[in-house]
Amino acid sequence: MNQLSLAIDLSRCIGCKTCVAACRNYHGLTDHASDMPGKMPYYLRVESRREGSFPNLKLESWVVPCQHCNNAPCVKACKSGSISKDEQTGIVRIDQGKCQGSGDCLKACPYGVIQFDAARNKAHKCDMCWDLVHGGQKPVCAQVCLTDAIRFGEKQLLRMELKAEGKEILKRMSAQSVLYYRDSV
Amino acid sequence: MLRDGWVPTMCYQCKAECAILARVEDGVLKEVRGNPRGRGKACVKGMAGVSLQYNADRLTQPLRRVGRRGEGRFEPCGWDEALDAIAGKLQELRDRGEAHKLTASFFPHSITDPKWRFLNAYGGFINTALPHCDSAKIVAFIKAMGGVPNHHIPPAFFTVPKGGIMIMAGRHAFGCLDDASVPRDILEAKARGAILVVLDPLFTADAAKADWWIPIRPSGDTALFTGMTHHIVMNGLHNKSFVENWVREGDFERLKDYLADKTPEAMSRICDVPAKDIIKLAEMCAAAPSVGVDSFKGIMLGQAMDFGHAWTNFLAVTGNIDNPGGQPLPDLTPLAPVEPVPPAPNLHERGWHRTGPDKDKFAKYSFIMEPTWYQAQAIKNGDLKVLVVAECNPALTEMGQEEWRSAATMTDSKGNYLLEMLVSYEIMLSETSRYADYVLPDKTYFERWELLYMPWWYNFGQGIGLRQPVVEAPEGCRHSNEVFIELGKRLCPEYFAFKDDVEFYDRQLTGLGLSVKKLQDLGGLWSPGTLGFRKYEKAGGFGTPSGKVHLYWEDLEEVGQALPRVDLAPEYRVDAEQYPYVLLSYRTIFHQGSGQWTHNNPQLRDPVGGFRDNPLLINTATARKEGIKDGDLVTLRSRSGQVRVRAKCTERIRPDCLGLHHGFGSSIGRVAAGGGGVSDNALIPDSGTTLDWQDLVGGESHVSTRVRLEH
Ligand code: SF4
Ligand code: SF4
Ligand code: SF4
Repeated sequence: MNQLSLAIDLSRCIGCKTCVAACRNYHGLTDHASDMPGKMPYYLRVESRREGSFPNLKLESWVVPCQHCNNAPCVKACKSGSISKDEQTGIVRIDQGKCQGSGDCLKACPYGVIQFDAARNKAHKCDMCWDLVHGGQKPVCAQVCLTDAIRFGEKQLLRMELKAEGKEILKRMSAQSVLYYRDSV
Repeated sequence: MLRDGWVPTMCYQCKAECAILARVEDGVLKEVRGNPRGRGKACVKGMAGVSLQYNADRLTQPLRRVGRRGEGRFEPCGWDEALDAIAGKLQELRDRGEAHKLTASFFPHSITDPKWRFLNAYGGFINTALPHCDSAKIVAFIKAMGGVPNHHIPPAFFTVPKGGIMIMAGRHAFGCLDDASVPRDILEAKARGAILVVLDPLFTADAAKADWWIPIRPSGDTALFTGMTHHIVMNGLHNKSFVENWVREGDFERLKDYLADKTPEAMSRICDVPAKDIIKLAEMCAAAPSVGVDSFKGIMLGQAMDFGHAWTNFLAVTGNIDNPGGQPLPDLTPLAPVEPVPPAPNLHERGWHRTGPDKDKFAKYSFIMEPTWYQAQAIKNGDLKVLVVAECNPALTEMGQEEWRSAATMTDSKGNYLLEMLVSYEIMLSETSRYADYVLPDKTYFERWELLYMPWWYNFGQGIGLRQPVVEAPEGCRHSNEVFIELGKRLCPEYFAFKDDVEFYDRQLTGLGLSVKKLQDLGGLWSPGTLGFRKYEKAGGFGTPSGKVHLYWEDLEEVGQALPRVDLAPEYRVDAEQYPYVLLSYRTIFHQGSGQWTHNNPQLRDPVGGFRDNPLLINTATARKEGIKDGDLVTLRSRSGQVRVRAKCTERIRPDCLGLHHGFGSSIGRVAAGGGGVSDNALIPDSGTTLDWQDLVGGESHVSTRVRLEH
């Protein structure tokens, strides 16, 4: 299996959430006419860490989509067998036809990225924009990122690329299939 | 003919008007992207434009007021009735010789905007735009360099070379409102070795990426730049060939005399940046291949013109005018005039629409657009009788909102409103529409035509962009431009002898050998992609009377402003004992300035996808001193108002400042009204009421005031 991956640049991400809105639109996660704030699903979220005290501050932001885990806990947790890790790309997907809505995967996922659609009684989440990437395009978040902080590609190649550029890969954050990195200083 | 697929058009979730692609499926808008042919980025507001398009609060028929102004009670009426009433009122106003008492307040997407044409043709005296945010900067650039910079022209960040310095002075460039490609361009420049310096009392997203964040005292920019200029000039670090060849004779010596006592130490006391840091930054700038300065807050303060002046002096002595990475100068796109061209109003003959005790003295600060605060003052003076607003929201998102609201409801002895008619074009009801006699349902930017010929991406080279309908508007909506053309046909037909907006744009496009159709076929954008550097060399000089850069402004001698005054803005100097804190009215990328489009947008008020609420930012140490805990409800009071707001303790703000995100506090709209938040403008006084401590020749304190905490 050649794992597909996103690589998120903490030196570039400005926490603008452009990727969040674009992802929602592309995947049809919002009913624009009736949804209210706080009630809309999302396939990725922005996190940040601020350190220091005035005036010596540091802030880093990054995004958290599904990590497409190597040994995905969600796959193991799902009794109906509706979650699988794709052989070819390593993309972890929830089969909407099979999902029984038990919600077990939500509890199992350590990254808290699975959404639950109560109306349809189904779990759903980031599928790395399956249709787009199979059509040779980048996932939506990587396409729209305001600062080009998201790269997309085969994990191994991305890692080689980042190493060649002398970037610091944040091992702790990238234990799964998404890579996090920053400029090394 | 509308079509499915990715259609090129122009965003208008904010004034930046980025080139976008809109994806339409079965006639329904689904997605937005940056248009790769127009630098390729759109921001989160742009993405959430889809939610604006399908907002359940959209208006689809004209409304007539039935209650008192401010109550917001309306009943539907037909377009014919509304247009007859408006045209009838305008006819009457002109018949009694008061055509100049019409003001239309709108964002001029282009100087060829049909709204602008209507005002000139009708005899409307004034074109009020949105708050006059950068007019002081524009005037400063005209005085110094003779070129009219198009609105807000920041450095072309993609031209900043390795080692170049990018200074953001109170500028939140990562908040967009200035082309969504700018954040990437800045980071790209950084990646190739340029240096980002952020001057801001608030630790912004830009500050987080800066090589150096300088938490300057608000409005200390003039002093800081003057201190740097002192160090550079006195130590002979200036760009000698630029100064010799391109600065007007005698000006450099005058500047030198003026600078004598403006040492880094002296300036440090004003701006609260250590003298050694002023010197360090000055030396960095003198040694760098380029320095570009961008500002926003600094050009919205009461002494904005002084800052503009200090800025242009700094650019001149460091030779950073129209060079790669420095301050670009414009190069105009040759559109054709639509004949006959209505004459522009004679400002001096009609009386200058500044108001208050110093009304006549303001003439030197002449600029074609008037500040928003003019409205409230002019209603009281009897200078404004009919107000038409489009794409702005003075009752909420401009300083002095209470002043505006009260002026809009003032009556004479017979009980008639002093402002005889107020018309608001709205996509959905806003705070301002509550005061309107007629509310007209506007089209969104996905439903209308517009020819944009001075969008802010102008600094990426001359060009024009076409906004075109990508989806059908709801039955009953008409774009304000279509309505202005209709009014023009009724009231001044000689200037509106064309079929519609598209034909109007067709005529302008003949200047480029184009038509709307051809421009559509070109992909909706036209630009030869030229930017050009040091254009003044080829042109044989600058547009000033001397052909050189003017450091000394003799026309402002009598008001003591021939050279910049380095003090803090007056609104920060008054009442410091009663109001110990400075209010920072700040912005983020999630909301633009005019309110409803983004504040009533569920995606942009969503905690995951946007910015929900505006708590009061207070430095942790200040909160401790004041006995305030995180989440406490406090009262914030200024000389013009008060708000109750929740405190958020943070390290990211200067201890002597308090921060409120701008534009919140709408009481109308499904999302906006439920979302919480308070209006900063309840606290910021109408500049027209504070002229005694406003600069005579300066800016308007749009965003600034002093406040105190009560709890
Ligand atoms: S991040 Fe969560 S949802 Fe994604 S593969 Fe891992 S466990 Fe499953
Ligand atoms: S669009 Fe890019 S910069 Fe903005 S939050 Fe997403 S990853 Fe970060
Ligand atoms: S910066 Fe403004 S115009 Fe550009 S995409 Fe964002 S909202 Fe639209």
